[in-house]
Order: sequence, then structure tokens, then C-alpha cells
Amino acid sequence: MSIATAITHSTQLTKRSVRGRLRQPAALAPAFIFPLFFAALGSASFNRLARDPYFSENIASSFLNYAVAGAVVQGVLFGATSAAGDLATDIEQGFFERLLASPISRVSIVLGRLAASMVVGVTQVVVFMTLFVVFGARVESGPVGVIGLIVSGALLGLAMAGLMAGIAIKSGSPEVVQGSFPLVFVLLFLSSAFFPRHYMTGWYRTVADWNPMSHVVEGMQGFMNHDLAADQFVKAWLIPLGVSIVGIAFALRSLDKRLAAS
Amino acid sequence: MTSSPIVARELVRHFGTGDNIVKAVDGVDLEVRTGEIFGLLGPNGAGKSTIVRMLTTLLKPTSGSASVAGFDVVTDADKVRRSIGVALQDAAIDPLMTGRELLNLQAVLYGLSKADGRARGDELLERVGLTAAAERRVGTYSGGMRRRLDLALSLVHEPTVLFLDEPTTGLDPMSRLTLWEEVRRLNQSGTTVLLTTQYLEEADQLADRIAIVDHGRIVRAGVPRDLKAQVGSPTLFVSVDQAHGDSARSTLARFGELRPSAEGTLGVGLARGAEDVAAVVRALDEAGIKVRHLELNEPSLDDVFAEATGHRLEGAQ
Repeated sequence: MSIATAITHSTQLTKRSVRGRLRQPAALAPAFIFPLFFAALGSASFNRLARDPYFSENIASSFLNYAVAGAVVQGVLFGATSAAGDLATDIEQGFFERLLASPISRVSIVLGRLAASMVVGVTQVVVFMTLFVVFGARVESGPVGVIGLIVSGALLGLAMAGLMAGIAIKSGSPEVVQGSFPLVFVLLFLSSAFFPRHYMTGWYRTVADWNPMSHVVEGMQGFMNHDLAADQFVKAWLIPLGVSIVGIAFALRSLDKRLAAS
Repeated sequence: MTSSPIVARELVRHFGTGDNIVKAVDGVDLEVRTGEIFGLLGPNGAGKSTIVRMLTTLLKPTSGSASVAGFDVVTDADKVRRSIGVALQDAAIDPLMTGRELLNLQAVLYGLSKADGRARGDELLERVGLTAAAERRVGTYSGGMRRRLDLALSLVHEPTVLFLDEPTTGLDPMSRLTLWEEVRRLNQSGTTVLLTTQYLEEADQLADRIAIVDHGRIVRAGVPRDLKAQVGSPTLFVSVDQAHGDSARSTLARFGELRPSAEGTLGVGLARGAEDVAAVVRALDEAGIKVRHLELNEPSLDDVFAEATGHRLEGAQ
């Protein structure tokens, strides 16, 4: 099968996935509402932190500015998990098999879903940034920072969708996919997504220091709050890119195993 | 090499390993001729769907070989997929998409241009009576509408061989008849059809030839009329009080071979045909056995099934 055909198939399945997401507002809403809720809660609770000279000089000009990256990451994780849940539903309800009975490029079945997660991830970044700016946040690093954050959101969407798609294909069960989400959420809570590492102490600080999610979030926070620096791109782009490669490999390997077992 | 569109030789499919091995298909030989409707008849779990899944490249055989449309199902799987239409059990259709969107997607997957796909979609929607519902989400369709859409989807690329896995299971009688009509029309236009069913009437009405599948094996195959003729005599089914079961059995055995029947009923193949009915009733009466229900059936596919397997199809008498 030619690469052009595989791209055509992937594009069609991406459109289908995005359309499916948009047609399930109840499933899509948490990916937008919960991050905004946590951001509002954080801003109300910790806004005085912005008066601390260390915070305002090294972290963010306001807690709202600080909360943007956490909201984006949280939303992307929700979105990627829901997309993987849809893939597992396809397997459970037989649509996956319908695709397999057609002369489709097998890789397209996975890539279509992953590309859709990237599209949803980009949409989430744009929506969150717009809303946060309306409520007073400022993108300190200008248009390049906006692009940096969008690319980062897309890559993070791809990374999480890859890992979750692997779980979906391996298990074929939407329940297993949803069941694994709390683990991802714990990873997020034990990072600097909601509170700066500088103010953490004890084991919480240690875990957050080692948690790669902290570094991704801080890279993304940099796009909002500082002049651009190379290490932000490393954290916000390269870490998700690395996880994306692992995630896609895991998803494709799971697909291979599923096909071989049939 | 045969030119038949579907050929299977010693096809085997096992699931599980070691002591837990399940022989879902256990050495099936099959040859479906060009332009015929071939029915695989059997109860749930007989192995019909597993056979179809192997022939449609969804499952790899444990051993044996099969070719569809002239291509090997393992080594030329992609060519097989391009040549066949498949409507699997339960009409697995994305409920969030509209009928039109699904047809467009299917057209792209089979390499049709956007314009050709649209035109083919219109034609098929008209053919299966779904034009008015084309822009509605499939989640709002009835079971019959889903089945018809499923059939339309399997025909987008004008396949020469069509697989229908239990196409009418769960449908109301009207929807079932509509689907039968469509299958006949397709067949008349030259499409070879292999369908699986657990409905005797469906196999009888639709199929030119059938194979009866039980425990992963084909136990009888042929033209339904010929198979029924082999059974020969009609079957008399008699319901009596449970207390008289044994004496009724020995009384009935005097008139012919006892045949498998549903629980609470005794069946006997009347050696001399319908003329024995009066004598049976008299004999039962003389033995003091009160008859609750009595029914004489001409040889049916269920009789063929019962003779071949020693039990009747679930739900059928």
C-alpha cells in the first residue's frame, strides 16, 4: 500500500475521530470545564503568591498566568484519554473489525486517532489561551510563545494519545482506558502543574522534581511568562516528542500483537 | 486450482492453549460456486462465524487453507479484502456518524474518488431505502435500517463475493423479508453470497445450497430439497403427560424411528407417511396415554439437522 493511500486513510479517520469528539459534548466538556475550574480555584486560593518577589521575578507575573500551562496539560490529558476510550469502544463494538475487513492501511487506524488527538490538543490550547487572556493573563513572550504553547499542546496530545491508544488496543476495553486515567492524573497532581515546585517541601518536592510532567509544564509556563529560552523548547517540545515516539511505538506494537493474535 | 470463488480445505481454527483449547472450526471443506447463495446453517457457537471470519481475513486459520475470489486468505489477504463485501454480525456501525458519512468513508477506503463515492452512495442509499435517513446519525436508526445500511456499506466497491454473517438476527419479520429480497436481487445481478444463519426458514428460502455446521464441522451439505428428501418420512411430534413419557416412546417406536425433538415432546419419523397418523393416535389411546398436542411436519431442514447431529436447532421443532 502506498504512503499516499495511507495518508488519505489516516486523514479520513482523523476527520471521523474529530467529528465523533464534537458529537459527544458530554464527553468533551470535562476536557474544558475541569481545567478551567482548577485554574479558577488555584487563582482564587494562591493569587497572593504573586506578591512574593521570587514568584513574580522567576515564575509568573500572576497566578492566572501560571495556571495556563497546568490547564492546557490537564485538558490535553482528558482529551487524549477520551480519544483512546473511543478507540477501545471501536474495538469492543466491532467497528475496528469493520475497518480491518477493508483494504485499509493498518497503521492508519492508529494514526488517524492520534492525529485527531493532536487536533483536539491544539484546539484546547487556543481555547484556554483565549479565555485566560480575556480574564487578564498575558503572553509575555509574544506570538512565538503562543506558537510554542500550541506546538507543545499538540505534542503532548500525541504523546498521551499514543500511550493511551496502546492501552486501548491491548485491552480492547473502554473501562480499562478510563481506569488508567487516575494514574495519569496522580502524575499531574504530583507535578508543578498546580503549584510551583519552589514552594513545595519534603517528599512532595522530591517526587515533583523527578516527575517529567513538572518539566513539561514548566517549559510551557515559560512560553507564557518569560523571554524565550532554549531550555523551554527542550522541556515543552522534546520531552513530549520523546514520549510521543515511545507512545506511538507502543500503540503500533499493540496493534501488531492484536492482529497477530487474530 | 478450482475457479470457485470460495474454497476451503481442511480449515481449522483453535482458540486457547493446552487443556483449554477450543476447536471452534475442526476441519471444514467448502466450495461455493460462482453466482450461488450458499448458507451455513447452525446454532450459536457452531463455528459459522469463525469460518466467515477466516474467509474474510479477520482470523488466521490454525491450519488448512482457503481462497476467496481466487486469492489465498493468508498470503493475499489484501487482495481478498478488495474483492469481497462483508456485513458482520451485529452491524457494527459507528452510531455517531450519519449513513452518508459512513458510505463516503467506506468509498475512500476502497479507493473510489470523492465524486464516484458520492454517486455510489446515492445509488446504494436509494437501493436499500435509506435516502431520507442519509443525513441522520446511525444511532437514531432502527435495527432493520442498520442492517440495510450495513449491506449498503458492504456493496460500495461492487464486490463479486459477499459475506453476510447472520444478516437478519434480531430483525422483525418485515425487515427480514426486505433484506431477503435485497440479497436475492444482488445474487441475480451476479454476486456470489455466503451467508450464515440460525434460521431454518432463511436457509430454506434463500440458499441454493447449504452446509449444516455443528461443533466446528460440516455435518451435511447440499441442496435443501435434496437434503430433506434424504430424511424421507415426515415427523410426527407428540406431547404427552410426563408420567407417560416412557410408554409413549415405546408405542411411537412401533411406527418408525424416534427422532430428536424439543423438550417435553416426542418425535417419530413415520415410516409409512401421513397415513399412519390415525393408527398412532389409536395406539396411544389404547395404551391409556392422553395426547396433549400432535403435529405432523413434512421433512424440514431441522429434520436434516436432527438426523445429522442428534439434536434440534435451538428454538426450532
